[in-house]
Amino acid sequence: MKGLKYQLKSVLRDKFCLMTFLLPILVAVALNFMGSIDLSSLGELHFGVLENDLSPQTVAWLEQYGPVTAYRTQEELVAAINEPSTNVIGVKADGNSIKTAISGDELDIFRQAAVTLPTLYEQRQNAEQAEVQVLERPDILKNFQGIFIPAVLIVAMFMGCTFNAMNIISEKEDGVAFINEILPMTPSQYIFQKVVVGFLFGSLSSIVTACICFRLSWQNFGLLLALIVLSSFVAALIGLFIGKLSEGLMIGVVYIKIVMLAFLAVPIVCALTGVNGPLAVICNIVPSHPAFDGIMALSAGSLGTATKDVGILVIHCISWSALYVLISTRHKKQATQ
Amino acid sequence: MGKGFCALFKKDCRMLAWGKFFLMAIGFLVLYTAYVNLGYVRFMQMPPYNVYLYDPAGTQVEKSPLVQTVSSMEAMDAVLLSDANGVGLDASAGDVRVILYEGAEHVDLHRADYALSLLRPSVSPAPEVLGTNTPEQKARKEITCELLFFELAAVGFLGIAAVLFKEKGMGVIRVHAILPLRKELFLLSKLAVFLLSDLAFAILLTLLNVGFGDGMTVLPAVLLQTAILSLMMALVGLLCALLLKDFRQFTLAYLVIAIFAATPVFLSANTSIKFDWIGCHPFYHVYMGLKNAYFGTDISLAYYVGAVGMIVLLFLAVRLAFHREIGKEG
Repeated sequence: MKGLKYQLKSVLRDKFCLMTFLLPILVAVALNFMGSIDLSSLGELHFGVLENDLSPQTVAWLEQYGPVTAYRTQEELVAAINEPSTNVIGVKADGNSIKTAISGDELDIFRQAAVTLPTLYEQRQNAEQAEVQVLERPDILKNFQGIFIPAVLIVAMFMGCTFNAMNIISEKEDGVAFINEILPMTPSQYIFQKVVVGFLFGSLSSIVTACICFRLSWQNFGLLLALIVLSSFVAALIGLFIGKLSEGLMIGVVYIKIVMLAFLAVPIVCALTGVNGPLAVICNIVPSHPAFDGIMALSAGSLGTATKDVGILVIHCISWSALYVLISTRHKKQATQ
Repeated sequence: MGKGFCALFKKDCRMLAWGKFFLMAIGFLVLYTAYVNLGYVRFMQMPPYNVYLYDPAGTQVEKSPLVQTVSSMEAMDAVLLSDANGVGLDASAGDVRVILYEGAEHVDLHRADYALSLLRPSVSPAPEVLGTNTPEQKARKEITCELLFFELAAVGFLGIAAVLFKEKGMGVIRVHAILPLRKELFLLSKLAVFLLSDLAFAILLTLLNVGFGDGMTVLPAVLLQTAILSLMMALVGLLCALLLKDFRQFTLAYLVIAIFAATPVFLSANTSIKFDWIGCHPFYHVYMGLKNAYFGTDISLAYYVGAVGMIVLLFLAVRLAFHREIGKEG
């Protein structure tokens, strides 16, 4: 307990360390204040037209498919079509019909839309008569906006990992690690002391972030709390691994970066591409994936998936701790031989 | 003075090699190149919506070859569930009924009309192609630009700081306070080493990922932008190393850059999402400079004036901090 007191004391003295844990909370507040960033426009069609070229009816017809921007000159229109960050389709009058212009570097989906737009215009009367049955989408990702909040939460949980790794690396550089090896301390005591600080602050920061971002019922909040606590614990443990494996500061930083990239990229890519089947099961090896999946499931009200993810995280906690104890015991045995 | 600079330059190179800075840069170059060539270019494809038709009586004779027929409504449900962006057309009851999974409102309407248009395809004039890049060229340029920016602004920046903190810890600054050399040489040799290594990195990254032909065309403009970004980041790295107490504190500055600086810039510069305030974000202009260089778009003179002013300002701030640090040591 005394060791833990010293650990907490050193963290509380380090203002920057405290700020590191406050950072995700600040991002969450910023996200809340910034309001909703409309990401649904990403897959939309954007049209560019010349002023006074198309009839108001044609512009209104185009507007039902996506936003229409009018440009004063041909040069401005060409520049907008060629702008690499957008997929603007240029539309011009062609007698009774319309013709389209593209920059040629669009994805196939936008190119095909430009190719078929004149046909759509010709058949606009017929299309209005057809019956359209819209089914509710099976996946919860109706828009991309939901991804931001879990991503911030993942970063909050990751803080414990960064802190622990940095703590151990600086101990190694200062020579404290050698003293630790001869202290009468069991591996579990060492893990406890090291993990607790990163874990405590990581979960605290995640809980505050979650309170700012989510409005959940008590039952759902219990599950979210379980997700946060478990994943902060795994992150803090991974921090120990990074600290143990890295010889110097530089290597440690590289490891942290790789882990952070994997932590953020795997769940986000899985969510965006809708991975399922055996690949989705394999993705669960990265602990942030079940955490992310669970948070997304909770925000969609699917308790079953969230409970399953809690289970996966429990397995993570047990296996990572067991692995760490195993490695430490072996290391200690080698050191005493 | 030249001799002193050479000696410092050699020492800095050795310091970077010892700190595995070059090794890390080569490692990241290999990683990025593998990602672009094996993953990104294949991943960044978005085929047109698939259209599935259930037409047991065979009433739709004019349909386009893009329409795929299914044998039953059960098969239609299954295929739509696995391809939620696809559109189903049910012609079993005479009139054609469109079935699709909900998405964005405008897009849904387009998907439905597009699917119906494929039943009666007509020959319309092909769209006029105004640009010079193919989708693959665009994807390669875009991702190379993003990776170069990320490498210089976040990864390289962290490397710079790690090396500088190490040097500070070893008391190199204290030694410089008593060396018979101009104090600016210490800063200039550092900037020169990082600038040269960043330029070499930019050349290799561009040629390996954009392709030799395209890469050579854009390289001069890209190198100019790389130099601007590299100088800025090296100066900010130096400033952080001089002002902050230790490397752990520095990781915060790194996180701020990674989260606050990069995300909105990437969103605004690469997608159709445009924030109103993004013009006030200094990184946005630097990133757009780099991106315009890759895509051959003109860059305004005001940007260059601003960039040079910023570099001079940062240099003066670093000089001040350096003199203060020497004073403290002395």
